[in-house]
Amino acid sequence: MTQTQKLTEAQLIDALQQRQQAGFAYLYDNYSGAIFTIISSIVTDKELAADVLQEVFVKIWRSFDKYDASKAKLYTWMLNIARNTAIDTVRSKAFNNSQQNRELTEFVYENAGSVETNTDKIGLRKVVHTLKDEYKVLVELSYFQGFTQDEIAKMLDIPLGTVKTRLRAALIQLRTMIKP
Amino acid sequence: MNTQEYINSGIVESYVLGLASPDEVQELMQQVKLYPEIKQAIEDFELAIEANFQQNATPVPAQVKSNLLSILEAEFAPVVSNDAIPNAAAKVVPFNTTAPPEAPTVKPLFNWQLLSAAAMLLFIVSACLNIYFYNAAKTSANQYQALLTERSSLQANIEVYQTKLEEMGNGMKTMLNPSMKVVKMPAVKGMEGNTATVYWDMTTKDVYVLNNALAPAAADKQYQLWAIVDGKPVDAGMLGDCAMLCKMKNIPNAQAFAITLEKKGGNATPQGTMYVLGKI
Repeated sequence: MTQTQKLTEAQLIDALQQRQQAGFAYLYDNYSGAIFTIISSIVTDKELAADVLQEVFVKIWRSFDKYDASKAKLYTWMLNIARNTAIDTVRSKAFNNSQQNRELTEFVYENAGSVETNTDKIGLRKVVHTLKDEYKVLVELSYFQGFTQDEIAKMLDIPLGTVKTRLRAALIQLRTMIKP
Repeated sequence: MNTQEYINSGIVESYVLGLASPDEVQELMQQVKLYPEIKQAIEDFELAIEANFQQNATPVPAQVKSNLLSILEAEFAPVVSNDAIPNAAAKVVPFNTTAPPEAPTVKPLFNWQLLSAAAMLLFIVSACLNIYFYNAAKTSANQYQALLTERSSLQANIEVYQTKLEEMGNGMKTMLNPSMKVVKMPAVKGMEGNTATVYWDMTTKDVYVLNNALAPAAADKQYQLWAIVDGKPVDAGMLGDCAMLCKMKNIPNAQAFAITLEKKGGNATPQGTMYVLGKI
C-alpha cells in the first residue's frame, strides 16, 4: 500500500480489520481533519481538542470489530464516536472545575447552554447557526450538547411532542442547506 | 406506508446524526429491509454530511499522528516482507556412489541429497523462528517501554496527590491551633447558600480564609477579603486557588470580615457585591 494509492471504503475497512498499520495511517491521513472539525466545534480549548482527537482515533482502532458496514458508512460511525467523546469531555471538565459537589445531572441541567462550548462556528455548526431560533436551539442542545429530547423538553418547558416534531423539521431544513 | 413521506420526515437525518431513539432506529432498520429507496436516502445524507466535514477539515497538530503510531505500535499486525526469508539455495551435490564394477553395490553412508534438504529445511525453520522471536521480543520491549512510561506518569500523579495532602494537613493544623480566632461568615441577605470562615491567629495576627461554599466566580472575577477596621474596609487579600486554607494579609485589628466579588486582581476599595459578612 503506497502513499499515493487511493483506497475504496471497502478496501480500507478490510485493511483495518486485518489490523494493518498502513490501513490506520491511511484512515488518519484522510479523515483526521474532518473528524477534528466536529471535535473543535464542541471543545473550546485547542490543546484539549487535540487530546480528544487522539483519544477518538484510539477508540476507533480498538473498537473497530464493532463497526457494522451494513448499518452506517465508515465516516458516519467515526463522526458519532467523535461527537460523543467531545461532549463527554466538555461535561466532565466543567463538572471538575466547579467547586460545588452536586450531582452531575443537577449540574448539567443548570448549566445547559452556558457550558463553555466553542463559539467559533465552523462547518456544520456554522450552518446550524443560520437556522431560525427555535430550530437552532434544538439542534444545538441535542447535537452539540448531547441532551436527550426528554431533557430538552424539561429544560425549555415545552411538550416532548413539540421537541420531536420541531427537531425533525430542523434536521430536514439542515439537509437542504448542506446538499451539495 | 408512504415511503416518500417517511423519507422526508426527518428520521433519516436523525439516524445519521446519531439522534434517533433505539425504537426509531429499530423501525428504520425494518423499513430499510422493505424499501431500498430508504437505504439510498440514508446513504445520500451520509455522503452530504461527510462532504461538508471534508470541505471544512481542520488542520491537526502533527504531534497527534506520531503519538498514535507510538501508542498503537504493539497492536498493528506484523509486516512480513518478501525478503524476510533469505534465499537458501544450497547447491546440492550428489555424492558419487559408483562402486568398483566387481564389488556389489555399496549402500552410501550418507544420502547427501536428503541431508542437504533436511539441512535447508532446518535452516528455513530456524530463520522463521528467529523472525517470530525477534518480533515477539520487539513487542515485549515496546510493552515494557509503555509500562515504564505509564509508571512514571503514575508516579507523577502520586507526587501531585502527596503535595495536596500535605497542604490539606497543614491547613487542618492551622484551623485547630488554639490561638486561632474562628470568625464564621454567613451569607448576607440575597446571597443565601454562600459561606466562608476566617481563621485569625491572635498571636501573629496572620489571617487565613476557608471557602466553605462560595458560588464559583466567573473567569474575569475574583473574591476579595476585607477587614472592617473602625467602620472602614481594609484590603485583606484575594482568594486564590487554594487546596484548603488561603493565606491572606496580616491584620492587626478588625471588628468584622467580609468577602466581595471584585474584578480579577481586586480593587483598592470594595466595588463589587458583598457575599458574606462575619462580625467578631
